[in-house]
Amino acid sequence: MTIDVSNILIFKTNIQTEFDKLRLKYVLDASHKVLKWSIDMEDVDHVLRIVSDSLTPDQIISVLDYVGFECAELD
Amino acid sequence: MRTRDSKKEALVIREAIEMLVRDGFQGFSMNKLAQASGISVATLYIYYRDKDDLIKKIGTDIGRKFMEKTLQGFDSKMHFAEGLKKQWENRAAFALKYPREIACYEILRHSNHGEVITDESLKGFKETMSVFTHNAIKNKELISVPVEVFWSIAYGPLYTLLRFHEEGKSIGGRPFKFSKKIMEETFRLVLKSLTP
Repeated sequence: MTIDVSNILIFKTNIQTEFDKLRLKYVLDASHKVLKWSIDMEDVDHVLRIVSDSLTPDQIISVLDYVGFECAELD
Repeated sequence: MRTRDSKKEALVIREAIEMLVRDGFQGFSMNKLAQASGISVATLYIYYRDKDDLIKKIGTDIGRKFMEKTLQGFDSKMHFAEGLKKQWENRAAFALKYPREIACYEILRHSNHGEVITDESLKGFKETMSVFTHNAIKNKELISVPVEVFWSIAYGPLYTLLRFHEEGKSIGGRPFKFSKKIMEETFRLVLKSLTP
């Protein structure tokens, strides 16, 4: 499957533990607008990568904010 | 809009190989790589899901390239002497042309991604080489020995010479340069020990 790169959103987060990741999973897996997601736990910025053809960066930031995570778009 | 740029991607891979060889697996990070490649961290994450994804792709890419070059002009039905000679020539040409890729592949092969990388990249290659040696044994062109014995005699000497060359010196610090003449001289002895 090829992904349109303009549908890939990249964020810096404070998601650090496996428990954080699990909480994140509940939120992201629940949205059918999130086509794919992954997080690089090893990276200093704990980079979250989301593939979505309909969500905006602001929408994702507010969802993460709602569950208590810091999140900012990386550019 | 961000776009996927194949030139940029090639540059990223080149820098990643350089960094892995220089700093090792532990010293490698997506941040450092983005900096060295002159791109943003975000762009790097567009290309690769995470560090593991990048490492696996680099490893399988190198492996595939190695396999392609090694099998060029080679056929598993070749006479043993001719086929092994071709293998030596191809492997030497690859090692001389891509020393950093080889060093990087070795690092990745010994990491925890090693199995995935070798399984993915060497698909078909192992079978071809196995058919080649089995044919050779059947045709009485090669003696039957355990595979480890075969490999260390058939390829060990070549890789030792290539390592000397890469280091620029051989035992006791003697200056050394790989050449066709030295390769052929060594090859003759190898062939002698492996043929009935």
